[in-house]
Amino acid sequence: MNKQTNSNRLNGRDLINIGIYSAIYLVLAIALAMTGLIPIFLILLSSMYGIICGIPFMLFLTKVKKPGMIFIMSVIMGVVMFATGMTWMPIPFSVVTGIIAEIVYRSGNYSSMKAAVLTCGIFPMWACGNYLPLFVQREQYFAERASYGQEYADAVMRMTPNWMFFVLLIMTFVCGIMGGLIGKKLLKKHFVKAGIA
Amino acid sequence: MSGNASKKSFLDPRTKLLLVLVEAVLVLATAGGERLFWFRILFTVLPFLLLFTAGRYKSCITGGIVLGITLFLQYAVFPKAQGGLAMILLIVTSVITRFLPAYLIGAYVIQTTKVSEFKAAMEKMHMPDELTIPMCVMFRFFPTVREESTSIQAAMKMRGIGMGGRKASEMPEYRLVPMISCSAKIGEELSAAALTRGLGKSRKRTNICRIGFGIFDYLIFALVLATCVYWITGVIG
Repeated sequence: MNKQTNSNRLNGRDLINIGIYSAIYLVLAIALAMTGLIPIFLILLSSMYGIICGIPFMLFLTKVKKPGMIFIMSVIMGVVMFATGMTWMPIPFSVVTGIIAEIVYRSGNYSSMKAAVLTCGIFPMWACGNYLPLFVQREQYFAERASYGQEYADAVMRMTPNWMFFVLLIMTFVCGIMGGLIGKKLLKKHFVKAGIA
Repeated sequence: MSGNASKKSFLDPRTKLLLVLVEAVLVLATAGGERLFWFRILFTVLPFLLLFTAGRYKSCITGGIVLGITLFLQYAVFPKAQGGLAMILLIVTSVITRFLPAYLIGAYVIQTTKVSEFKAAMEKMHMPDELTIPMCVMFRFFPTVREESTSIQAAMKMRGIGMGGRKASEMPEYRLVPMISCSAKIGEELSAAALTRGLGKSRKRTNICRIGFGIFDYLIFALVLATCVYWITGVIG
């Protein structure tokens, strides 16, 4: 992936860092996903990822010094979503959002706080990939989830006309930035003091 | 975890990954609809058999009890329930019957696959290191994060910071921050340990795990293939 110079290649430590923060991120994400059984929370899920998971993600960004790390983490998110039954769509989607997030953070030379907060806004958009089947294959999605009950399907359906997808993207972005700002505050308050940022 | 390193495990890690995938598509996302009903039953039972053969009786029995209660609710209680109760029952039972097999197979895979075995399988599939190493670390790390999180929960409960407590609003900060710091610290130690074992070198690493397909792997392949063929003939016919 990155073969420009030797120092720019990801080494073992970087890869392990990706793994650790992906694990923290996913544990939080799964805990939040449990609330998705209530229709309104299903729609808010990606925004909640933005706020809550923004905190470990900010810390992760302080460890990112080389190109590729954010991208790999995003791909892992997509693969895990695929393996947990969200169809194949999250994978290409997470690849795209991962690349965008990567470019944004890179424009700040992997050190700018502003770019970090912005990246925090873009990264959680991978979660919107989970909603794609809901919009693209609407009939099939509800046929498969008919067992959740008609009321659940109706409630979700009412809240999701097609333009809703873009609203969700924007909402996720805004919440992601909020998460990033909270993360920034916590970084200053706790992590720098503890010597891990 | 299962036998010593030179002993081959019951199923190849690649087969296990295939099973995770099939459970996700067939049982969790209920692809194929009514036509694949019996196959779905089969794949619901399969995780129990696998857990049993792996000697994980506790997970097996707990899962069995949960599934039993759910089925009882679904077939005995649900037809008599009305209104809101019926809806709650419907959601709970359908979620459990669909998530439980996928959860159990995930538990089986994580409990019986050593990280080196997973890595060996991934190398045989020619996956790039950039993707497999983070995933290995991630799987190794899930239990650690959970353990830390339970300990912190206990500690915070003592100080009245919990779901029901007075200071529920402080929960995110006082639960998340220690959890993240602990995990980051442990992660640093882990990466130091891994680097001394030569993870940072660009040379190809050797692996002592012997993996390969055995008779049970082929049996599962046949089963999955049969499911796919039956599904496709249903779509075409």
